[in-house]
Amino acid sequence: MEQILKATQLSKYFYQKKALDKVDINIEKGKIYGILGPNGGGKSTFLKIAAGLLKPSQGEITIDNEKLGVYTKSIVSYLPETNYLYKWMKIKDALNFFKDLYTDFDVERARESLKFMELEEEEKVTSLSKGMMGRLKLTLALSRKAKLYLLDEPLNGIDPISREKILTSILDSYNEKVSILICSHLIYYIEKLLDYVFFLSEGRIILAGNAEDLRNKRGMSIDKLFQEVF
Amino acid sequence: MMTLLKYEIYRRWRWLVLRYAALIIIGAILLNRVSSPAYHYEFIGEAISKFFLTSGESIGKFILTSLVIFMIIIVEGINMLKEDLFEECGYLTFTIPKKGRIILASKLVLLFLQLSFWTIINVGFGSIFFSKLPYREIVQIETQINFYFFPIVLFILTAFFNSVLMIHFSLTLTKTLLVNKRYSDLLSIGIFFFLVYLIEKVCYGPLLNQIKNISIEIGSRSNIDLVSGGYTAVFLNIILIAIFFTATAYLLENKINI
Repeated sequence: MEQILKATQLSKYFYQKKALDKVDINIEKGKIYGILGPNGGGKSTFLKIAAGLLKPSQGEITIDNEKLGVYTKSIVSYLPETNYLYKWMKIKDALNFFKDLYTDFDVERARESLKFMELEEEEKVTSLSKGMMGRLKLTLALSRKAKLYLLDEPLNGIDPISREKILTSILDSYNEKVSILICSHLIYYIEKLLDYVFFLSEGRIILAGNAEDLRNKRGMSIDKLFQEVF
Repeated sequence: MMTLLKYEIYRRWRWLVLRYAALIIIGAILLNRVSSPAYHYEFIGEAISKFFLTSGESIGKFILTSLVIFMIIIVEGINMLKEDLFEECGYLTFTIPKKGRIILASKLVLLFLQLSFWTIINVGFGSIFFSKLPYREIVQIETQINFYFFPIVLFILTAFFNSVLMIHFSLTLTKTLLVNKRYSDLLSIGIFFFLVYLIEKVCYGPLLNQIKNISIEIGSRSNIDLVSGGYTAVFLNIILIAIFFTATAYLLENKINI
């Protein structure tokens, strides 16, 4: 199977602290992966490195066989946990910004998604609740026709109704040409989406495998397995 | 780059309009005071002295307002990059598929546009204020504007962008070395002053001394020394601008940790 992301012996240090310690992760095309682990385990650090926001201290990472740079940013759609949109923006400004700066941004898809997410284009991003902001960020990230989607805690702080909408959107965006990498500690909600999981703790992968195989082998859900492991 | 420039303007257009509107309105009010006819004064002597008092005060107030606006432009020029480096919006700015030099250039072009607009307003009002002075005063001031004018303007312009780029480089280097915000201001200031010291010791000092020695050797007059020194400083500034621009763009693209 063709790989979209390959990380070899990837490490990231913040002074004395090891956020990632010799991590090997390979992401194949057409699959949904989960990086699961407790807070501070290194999940977001890995995604930030893949998105080009952090530089690795050691090791290598390539996306679509290219070193990280302008090309990889053009094929990676990153959803950060933070409210990263400019404060002056209305939702329609955010749409225009993405349309102008990402050639793969599909405005029609974004508008349909906004309707589904019950968001108005005239609303200011600063006036959105956490759930609405989460839905908007996901709309923007998934409306790109990217090869790799990196979703950092897409369900964090989101109400149950919004969660369902977000999960539906993620599934709608999936096809055999794209890969999705989701970081979360809310395993129960995302488990059904995942083909493959990595359990990350204190910067190290302590368990990895096909989600279905792990369920059959251990006789429990990934959520239960997560609780047992951590 | 034009797309990024467009969004840089979008981000702060209200403040841009407000600051230039304030400068123009204040300039117009002060100009109106200077333009008031003198005939309502009882004696010619009183009229002339009142005119000089009013025009001097008005020009002074306009210069003060203009300097405040200039300081705001500098602070904003620095904050344009600082916000992206240290605030959450950096997640958006630094994940767009653009080279570091394009991101940096869009901010510097906006700064140049702001500076140009500020200069146009100042030159405009300055000329009008100047034309209100008595003919004798105009002639006297005109003779004082000599051939140092162009090297000085070029020097100020290049020194301005050199300083801004040095600050941008210091901030970017800080963000390469430190991830969290704590101590980042302190480190940025430290790097900036170290660069100022280094440039003075290695760059400006020796080269300007060299020019002075050459001028003395060929027996030129002191004003030639100053002009040569001025153009040399401009040349050095342009080289430093190129160095700091390239270094900052490289760090933005390859080394920063957001």
